[in-house]
Amino acid sequence: MNKLLTYSEKGLSLLFGIVVWLFFTFFYSSHLHYQEQFQMFLFTSDYWSDLMSRPGGLADYIGTFLTQFYYYAWLGALIIACLLVLLQQQIYRITQEIRTEPLLYPLTFIPSLLFWSLLCDESYLLASLIAVHLILVAVQLCFYIRRPWFRIGYAAVVLLLLYWLAGGAFWIAALLFVLLEFACFNQFTRLQWTLFLLVVVACVVVPPFIAKQFLFYSLSRLWWGICYNRYPVISPIPLLVAWSSLILIPLLFRFVSVKSLKPNTTLIWFLLEVLVLAISGHWLMQRSVDWSKESVMAYDYSVRMEQWNKVIAMADRKTPDSPLSVACLNLALCQQGKLNDTMFRYFQNGPEGLLPGFQRDFTVPMIVGEIYYHLGFLNTSMRYAFEAMEAIPDYKKSSRAIKRMAEVNLLNGEYKVAEKYLRLLQHTLFYSRWATETLKCLGNETLIDRNPAWAQLRKYRITDDFLFSEQQKDQMLGLLFVHCKTNRIAYEYLIAYTLLSKDLTRFVQYFPLGKELGYSSIPVHYQEALLAFWAGSGRNPSEFPWPVSQAVGQQFTNYVRLSTAGGYAETQIRDLYSQTYWYYLQFRK
Amino acid sequence: MKHSILYFLYFVFLLSACNEPVQSPVMVNAKPLLYPDYTDVTVPATIAPLNFTLAAEKFDRIDVVVTGSQKGKLHLQSKEVIQFPLQDWKKLLADNKASDLKVVVSVKQQGKWKQYQPFAVHVSGYPIDYGLVYRLIAPGYEVYSKMGIYQRDLSSFEQKAIVENTLVPGTCVNCHAFNRNNPAQMNLHVRGANGATMLQVNGKMELYNTKTDSTISPCVYPYWHPSGQYIAYSVNQTRQAFHVVKHERIEVFDQASDVVVYDLRNNRLISCPQLKTEAFETFPVFSPDGKSLYFCSSKQQDIQSNYKRIKYSLCRIAFDAKTATFGNKVDTLISAAKTGKSISFPRPSFDGNYLMYTQSDYGNFSIWHREADLYLLKLADGTSRPLTEVNSNNTESFHDWSSNSHWFVFSSRRGDGLYTRLYIASIDGQGRVSKPFLLPQKDPRFYDATLFSYNIPEFVTAPVKVNANELEKKLLQKDRKKMYYAH
Repeated sequence: MNKLLTYSEKGLSLLFGIVVWLFFTFFYSSHLHYQEQFQMFLFTSDYWSDLMSRPGGLADYIGTFLTQFYYYAWLGALIIACLLVLLQQQIYRITQEIRTEPLLYPLTFIPSLLFWSLLCDESYLLASLIAVHLILVAVQLCFYIRRPWFRIGYAAVVLLLLYWLAGGAFWIAALLFVLLEFACFNQFTRLQWTLFLLVVVACVVVPPFIAKQFLFYSLSRLWWGICYNRYPVISPIPLLVAWSSLILIPLLFRFVSVKSLKPNTTLIWFLLEVLVLAISGHWLMQRSVDWSKESVMAYDYSVRMEQWNKVIAMADRKTPDSPLSVACLNLALCQQGKLNDTMFRYFQNGPEGLLPGFQRDFTVPMIVGEIYYHLGFLNTSMRYAFEAMEAIPDYKKSSRAIKRMAEVNLLNGEYKVAEKYLRLLQHTLFYSRWATETLKCLGNETLIDRNPAWAQLRKYRITDDFLFSEQQKDQMLGLLFVHCKTNRIAYEYLIAYTLLSKDLTRFVQYFPLGKELGYSSIPVHYQEALLAFWAGSGRNPSEFPWPVSQAVGQQFTNYVRLSTAGGYAETQIRDLYSQTYWYYLQFRK
Repeated sequence: MKHSILYFLYFVFLLSACNEPVQSPVMVNAKPLLYPDYTDVTVPATIAPLNFTLAAEKFDRIDVVVTGSQKGKLHLQSKEVIQFPLQDWKKLLADNKASDLKVVVSVKQQGKWKQYQPFAVHVSGYPIDYGLVYRLIAPGYEVYSKMGIYQRDLSSFEQKAIVENTLVPGTCVNCHAFNRNNPAQMNLHVRGANGATMLQVNGKMELYNTKTDSTISPCVYPYWHPSGQYIAYSVNQTRQAFHVVKHERIEVFDQASDVVVYDLRNNRLISCPQLKTEAFETFPVFSPDGKSLYFCSSKQQDIQSNYKRIKYSLCRIAFDAKTATFGNKVDTLISAAKTGKSISFPRPSFDGNYLMYTQSDYGNFSIWHREADLYLLKLADGTSRPLTEVNSNNTESFHDWSSNSHWFVFSSRRGDGLYTRLYIASIDGQGRVSKPFLLPQKDPRFYDATLFSYNIPEFVTAPVKVNANELEKKLLQKDRKKMYYAH
């Protein structure tokens, strides 16, 4: 039976790791991609010394080193799974030093579950978990020191070191040292206890105050840790709960005694515990995950990777409803030549769903910058990338933003700046090859133009200067299109902007601009808008000047009939015509 | 004895491992293309080592011999960069003050040595101030990340933060200014929800709310009166816009701006009708005798349609420090209408001989203007000339004088076109300006990797002492001394 329990323990750890891996690989992968883009791990001594110059530096360094592997979600998921299993194993090893109690084994998963839950929040960084690993390693090493005086010295040195290497969570080690002295070693004399406690208290209280004299951080950040969360000011409660579990679980092993049970009963109890743990874990995860954010991140990732069909497939499965995801969908539809015919088949939330306005944060500009880039507003896309990077609350740099800035500077002929960014990217793991290849293009326009997308963007790029206006996006789009009349994306965005703004006068004014773009017939939504415009102008339907398909014409007649009927007609209209421009025009606020 | 021989042999081995003799070099009829370019520059005798490398070519080894024309010699060899030992460098410069260093650079490529024509480094007899204070910030648009105000000891590579914006999250720090480079009288702005203007005089720190009901904005662009009793500011309603074409990025405009002077003794802002007109008045600076106030002024223009017509003239108005009153007449020293150009950042030298300013095609935020150059106005005869000795085909913008007026520092984008770096040049008694040198760094490749721009360089005669804990506490208390406007 002992063997069976041992196998169950190992199996449970393995199963836990597999579940974590599956979760992050198949259900929460976009969160990993999201994390990866808001940092730029560099294999340089400057990067190392920059992070190591503040408390928690090593945890931050290892955390950002590992986070770069999130570039591949399966690999990132594997890293998280391994770290969470390792955490469970560390807690298990520590508890084993206190008491061997197989029946309490499932409890050792609780810290891992709590950290798993934290990592579902995109604001918590991997450094928060790494810091805990470093602390527990220091605690585990303590077991090898048998002499009490040495342990006192060890505690003093390690606590000071841990403050610098792991950051504000270092006090966990202090509490565990005390617990282990009490629960494991029990060797101290009264003098040693007094000295030990004095040393521990001093080594916990003093370091942040000393750090405060040299570093420009608030004392609270020096206490709570600088690198655990992306934001400088957060509620400490989630971290406190997770940290407390690291002390409470070993404490339970010390104080909870389990009566010896029959082997079968032991196994049943064990399985029951596992079941309770699984149910609690599931409940915790349900409360921790944010599927709406995951969805936006998935849209953003697919746009970033130019997986346009994947974006449309996602929207076909579930219509996006946030401005950012709708904006991603519209870009994908446009890239696939479907915007004119299908955009109103999906939820549209006005011009903000086409070109969301600038916000001083790190997420929105990164996504919206993609749209401006594909449109050909290179400077604006670079500005958005730059602003997004500068807005990252923990002041990290963004490899995605640097890559975009390198690209735009290259296309703008700003080769020295492009080179600067490319040389930085050469120090990364996953952008290095691209950077090295791109470096060859510096000053070589022929080579640049071999990339069809770049060649096209260089053609789209505006040559007559004006000041970009967020308030007059239709005019900006118009100027962009007028500069290069083969810029189909600019034209379709211009027209879509008027449609979404319900500005049919401008639509009719701009609509003829696209006649050189080679449409075989007037796109469906344009036909719908033209009919609506004509009807709204009160002119004679028989004088309608544009060719529309019979089906659209017939649909419009029916729509008008229903919309003037009143009563239950609105529901009927929604059922029949919610995918038309007429419905958007009449019913969408 | 046996051990001594062994040690000697070991020492010889080490030497031979480090330094290869430059054997039969092929002579190259050109000076080396150093990075940074320190050929034929003039430096103060206390400057940090001018470490360099060769950027344009690959090499297996670089050998450098620096010989003082008075005395002393340094010989270094490296595989990547030349980094002079600090103490040896200091001694060499001290021994050759007001004299020259001859630098011979040889490189080994594919097993063969070649030697460039020697070049000189002129060691000036004019001393330079202790250091520089500047802001390090990414050259961004509206959002800012980590930034700070730093001081750099010019005689070493030591850079220390005076304040960083991690101290109080969400803040932006800028507009540091000292009275004639004296760190005991300091102005600093902190923007953001906890923002304030910090004035520190002889160690006493006070935080101010500089916005009054009678002024259009909080005070910016500070400049101390030499008496230390006044600070000139402008109040500006500033907005940004963004260009769409390549090679252009940002435009910063004032929709309105006036000039005010803060009277420290009476805690009041004063101005006069000539400094608060419909026109845009900005960048006020006192003359070194304190009797005049220079400022820039442009006719009001519609920004969206006529932003390229906003051109600032250099003006002057009398100021009486005893009565805190202004003269009645504004003199236009350089008229934008005549030059067709725009002036920003006027800075008089402390000896009263010159006024240096930045000239660009239009507007006042010359840092984003590629055509912006430095100009020197000779105050005695009113003649003005471009500083061709220091200007480049990229942006030159903010500048500051050393306390003896024989050195000036300026920011320039000539390095890569975007990230501003600091250059220092000297001006002698006859007005001859030397070739500028880039602020030296321990690793000369530093500038390639940094994502910070050097912003608003100001000389200081001694280290700046700001108690960051006190500043943090006062910022978070939100208790501000309010400035009052005297009507």
